[in-house]
Amino acid sequence: MPAARERLTIRGRLGADSFLPWVMRHAARLGLAGDIRHADAGRVDIDLRGPVDLIDAMEMGCLLGPIDVWVETIDRTPSSSI
Amino acid sequence: MTVRHQPMIDEWYPVALASQLPPGGRATQLMGTPVLVVADDPIRVVTDDGRDLPVTLRYGHVWTSLGQPAKQLFDIPEADQPGRRLIEVGVVRVRCSPLRAVENFLDIAHFPFVHTDILGAEPHTEVGKYDVEIREKEDEVWATKVQFYQPQAAKSATGGITTDYMYRVPAPTSSVLYKTCPARPGEWDVITLFVQPLQEDLCDVWPWMALFDDETATTDLIHFQQMIFLQDRSILENQIPRLLPLDPGREIPTRADLTSVAYRRWLKRHQFTYGAQLVAQ
Repeated sequence: MPAARERLTIRGRLGADSFLPWVMRHAARLGLAGDIRHADAGRVDIDLRGPVDLIDAMEMGCLLGPIDVWVETIDRTPSSSI
Repeated sequence: MTVRHQPMIDEWYPVALASQLPPGGRATQLMGTPVLVVADDPIRVVTDDGRDLPVTLRYGHVWTSLGQPAKQLFDIPEADQPGRRLIEVGVVRVRCSPLRAVENFLDIAHFPFVHTDILGAEPHTEVGKYDVEIREKEDEVWATKVQFYQPQAAKSATGGITTDYMYRVPAPTSSVLYKTCPARPGEWDVITLFVQPLQEDLCDVWPWMALFDDETATTDLIHFQQMIFLQDRSILENQIPRLLPLDPGREIPTRADLTSVAYRRWLKRHQFTYGAQLVAQ
């Protein structure tokens, strides 16, 4: 499976304290290396490295997110920072 | 009934087949509330304490609401299209969350494993890429450009074909499936799943169809659909957790689950949470 480096830019109502730990936990469950590059109540940037299919799965999981956040959109761009 | 369920209380739900209402009516329940569908002219739906609920008759069914629906029941234009046969399949009781029943209906990936050699077959198990969107104007979930190989896509099919699908969710416990019409290329057969939420983990499923098929006997069409839903029932009744999680929980959704993800996002956005699990377990 080809590996990739991508940035997920997540936008929505992301202010809940649970969100960032949840993001890192979900990335770890998928076996993805990840670093949070930016986080505020409306936007989170996370750089990910791993197989494209698993980054797809990360996007799917984040679209649902934990129950106390609302993810409006996720943009994916190539990243070179990992 | 708690306030947190108010958005779903204000929706329409099927509670009976209008054509098969016995003279004594149908005693049933809706979201845990006992109701009686009364065979008056016009048909009424009343609660135990004598409250008359709003009623609409559409797609062969009696629809009602415990609250005050903000809009009319969703439209299925094909129901009025000349030449279609409108098939009332009846009712299947399933011990599962009403939201689980709809989510299962939206899931194509299970076809080869649950409806083996009918709606799917190995090795044709891959779900290709398709489009999913929440249509803002209609406020509905739509999945389009779905394709899947099926050994016997419909009762009228004589061999395997690649079947085109579209899925639509116009209400929290109703889904409309459009699929390739073997008898009339260029048209879509319409198969619906109308789910009556009895309790958070118990529902009556009322399938209904609008087909172009002048050949197949009605009883055969009904038996075909009932067979499909009975196969689903054994899966649905053993799903864990019983309520539909609105976050990923222990599941790892993938791109093949895109319709399910969009459905759950739409439920979450509208706080349609009767039958949903709100805390990951």
